[in-house]
Amino acid sequence: MASSVQSAHMELAAWVGSDHLSDDPAVCRAAAVDGKAPALVVYPSTAEEVAGILRIAATAGLTVIPFRNRTQLDIGNPPERYDVGLSLKEMNNVWHYEPSDLTISVEPGMKLGDLQYLAAQDHLWLPLDPPGGVKASLGGTLATNATGPLGHGYGSPRDVVLGMKIATTEGKIIKTGGRVVKNVAGYDLAKLLIGSYGTLGVIVEANLKLYPLPRQRATYVLRAKSLGMARELRRCILATPLHFLRFLLVNPAGARWLRQGTPLAVESTKPEIWMEAGGSERVLERTQKSLEDLCREAGVSVETCGGAEAESVWNRASEFRHAVVEAQPGTVVVRASLPIAACEEFLSAAQQEAESAEFAALGSPGVGTVHAAISGYRDLGDAGSTIRRLRQSARSFGGALVVERCPVALKAPLDVWGDPGDDFDLMRKIKAAWDPQRTLAPGRMIGRI
Amino acid sequence: MNPPPLVRDLIRATSRQAVLWRKEDLLLYEYDALSALRQPEAVVFPTSTQEVVRVIRVAARHGLPVIPRGAGTGLSGGATVAQRGIVVGFSRMNKIVEIDLENQRARVQPGVVNLDLSAAVSDAGYYFAPDPSSQKACTVGGNVAENSGGPHTLAYGVTTNHVLGLEVVLPDGNVVHTGAKFWDRPGYDLTGLLVGSEGTLGIVTEITVRLSRLPEAVNTLVAIYDRVSDATQTVAAITARGITPAALEMMDGFTLRAVEAATHAGYPTDSAAVLLIEVEGLREAVEEQTETIEAVCREHSAREIRRAHSAEERALLWKGRKNAFGALGRIAPNYYVQDGVIPRTRLPEMLEYTAEVEKKYELRIGNIFHAGDGNLHPLIMFDARDPSQCERVGRAAKDLMVKCVEMGGSITGEHGVGVEKNELMPLLFSDDDLAMLRRIKEVFNPLGLLNPGKVLPTGKICGELRVQASVGA
Ligand SMILES: Cc1cc2nc3c(=O)[nH]c(=O)nc-3n(C[C@H](O)[C@H](O)[C@H](O)COP(=O)(O)OP(=O)(O)OC[C@H]3O[C@@H](n4cnc5c(N)ncnc54)[C@H](O)[C@@H]3O)c2cc1C
Repeated sequence: MASSVQSAHMELAAWVGSDHLSDDPAVCRAAAVDGKAPALVVYPSTAEEVAGILRIAATAGLTVIPFRNRTQLDIGNPPERYDVGLSLKEMNNVWHYEPSDLTISVEPGMKLGDLQYLAAQDHLWLPLDPPGGVKASLGGTLATNATGPLGHGYGSPRDVVLGMKIATTEGKIIKTGGRVVKNVAGYDLAKLLIGSYGTLGVIVEANLKLYPLPRQRATYVLRAKSLGMARELRRCILATPLHFLRFLLVNPAGARWLRQGTPLAVESTKPEIWMEAGGSERVLERTQKSLEDLCREAGVSVETCGGAEAESVWNRASEFRHAVVEAQPGTVVVRASLPIAACEEFLSAAQQEAESAEFAALGSPGVGTVHAAISGYRDLGDAGSTIRRLRQSARSFGGALVVERCPVALKAPLDVWGDPGDDFDLMRKIKAAWDPQRTLAPGRMIGRI
Repeated sequence: MNPPPLVRDLIRATSRQAVLWRKEDLLLYEYDALSALRQPEAVVFPTSTQEVVRVIRVAARHGLPVIPRGAGTGLSGGATVAQRGIVVGFSRMNKIVEIDLENQRARVQPGVVNLDLSAAVSDAGYYFAPDPSSQKACTVGGNVAENSGGPHTLAYGVTTNHVLGLEVVLPDGNVVHTGAKFWDRPGYDLTGLLVGSEGTLGIVTEITVRLSRLPEAVNTLVAIYDRVSDATQTVAAITARGITPAALEMMDGFTLRAVEAATHAGYPTDSAAVLLIEVEGLREAVEEQTETIEAVCREHSAREIRRAHSAEERALLWKGRKNAFGALGRIAPNYYVQDGVIPRTRLPEMLEYTAEVEKKYELRIGNIFHAGDGNLHPLIMFDARDPSQCERVGRAAKDLMVKCVEMGGSITGEHGVGVEKNELMPLLFSDDDLAMLRRIKEVFNPLGLLNPGKVLPTGKICGELRVQASVGA
């Protein structure tokens, strides 16, 4: 292997230029995935360079993992092998931006925050708030189909992509979809790439749909007396015609985490519902009034906040999965995907399964996702069996559970994705058809594909 | 006459009443809403997934392709028989299997008619958002296969945004389940890949859909214009004000006159164009957006802006719109509906170009379309008995498609590629692009047993519309 890395090194240096490649051990360590460092890191600046790197690597039998800001790179099983880190940090161009068409085409290395800044000049935005927040790159956000609380109002990355260009392991650049909002010519390959965690091809350009920025926003907080009451409130609120951009249900530890370090920090001992609405003053007044009418019966008051205060809480919400691990290494973060109706019950079951460990949970019951951070467990064995019990619980509600972050030692015995379904054979064949040498992130995706 | 062995096998796989095989019974199945091609060897109507599996095994044994068929309202020939084969019709798999309101989901068999699904949940305040104009007839299975849109998919997204899971029978008889009742199931998004695959990757036998809340308030507006360009400029101007209407449709004067003659919906017959605009949502938001839209229309020289004052008036306006193809069909022996997409800011330019094409080929073209999405449906009127007209229709349609691509758009926004446009795919896609699509097809449908001759170019004739309307309707 070492010799093939060496000869590929020269070929890659010739292809991207020796200043766009590094084998400095410190650089390689910084590009490590699950503790495994590559032998080289390359920094392509064009789609053609990406395609060429993949071709050279595939031909030499080397493996490649694409990345940018590492906000989602912890997700996945440990790579079977990892020779070349493909950093997309030099690919930040905006190719087309048509504010009046509400479309933009960008390179994958562009950070979400930079795109939001640009679009805001025209009162537009891309309504995504993935973990990592503004630091998340667009390529990474799409490749992991990363959603945050805004998923409630706008859906997932899958709903905002109009088309893309993809670099394949054969060194080709292919296109799917286009730059228009409706298009059914050919199979929708973008869907396949979104959420494929870099295992099928490298997204080298994405055409995205933008939305008008809400004119004003307001945040409403309900402190429920119990999870049962939270469930009733959620049911009633989702049955109204009110529209929310974000809708979060948090357990007491989750509430404390959200509020921590913000002007809204108070001691929380009950589950809370956090909602954000957007629109004109009249729409927000109406939303508040309807919420108050609805909550009065339950004896719950509606607290409101806005501006920077609310913004700081929502930022913490989208950074939760990423930040809890930075704050306390070793924290386990799981994502349960559930039928909407099961969220509160799952939370209450999970709380018990977590036993003595600390358990902070942020859920988006409107879409059926719960993110939970587990820390303070006794040892890895304890953490592992807690995860297994949580996974069993999610399954019993008809859902699934993915371990997004955990100590690497836990990954091998657990399989972070859980068991694949009866469609796995198709996934395996797609992987084999598109990446026959298993050049891209081998072993990382579901079924260690 | 004794049934041939194939038919006997199909009857054994299903039941005697489920199989059509006499020539006169097969006639109808040469057609969809685009055109007629060949007669199938047989048509079979399974009642369960298991029967579909048995049918596909029979087909494989006889070396015959299978062509899934919903209601046959497709406009790209997807349900027609390109070579030989057995048509599998889904009219007997038309049950709503489960309605789960708290989870905002329904599970349906593919033969459920689009509008029946919405009707089944409307009392509870829900509906299925994709609303093709053909929704009284077309099936959810057909919607999934074509990734259909509709007037209201401007704000809510097309079929793919509302489908969460599928049960699919593969050509080898295996049954697989993609997606789930919840979103974001780990693994590749095969549901997203299958939606819009036009029956070439798998036979869909069950669909899990998202149900949406009916809005609290709806306003329907008709803005009337004396110049087409004023109407088209209004479209992008509305979006520029930060408003995404639930629907934003345009009809030109020629189309309006036909619609009025057929439906008496209340459209002005002396105008150059109208926009049919709908805003939905919270009462307060709807009021404000209506006012803004009215102002934008006036700024763009709308002659008059009318609001529908009752549910009946609203229904009538939509009836006029949704029956427009048929209305145009009354004034010429045949018509050919095209389907192209452009960035919505290019609408004024595109309509000027359409007028040039009309002149160049001496044909009448009605313009009716989902303006908010930039999804055009030029309707070319002709008489199929005149070979010279047929030839000009083909050239006109191709010119329009080429223009859409030049403007950064697409050759189909919702009607699909089918047998109509597969040879036009190279306008959009390189050989490399197509090669990767083929690999996907080979994974699902390696022997080409499912709906052959559709979507991907066959390479026999390059760059032409392969089949164009010949039937009229
Ligand atoms: C008047 C009129 C108006 C229309 N308006 C619109 C519109 O506004 N928007 C729009 O998008 N379309 C529109 N259409 C086109 C058409 O109605 C849609 O494409 C519709 O979804 C087709 O449904 P169907 O049940 O008739 O399918 P069919 O025509 O029977 O089949 C269409 C395709 O689906 C495949 N298929 C059907 N069932 C299955 C299954 N179970 N598994 C796998 N593949 C299957 C077939 O093989 C074929 O390729 C219109 C058509 C007409 C005639």
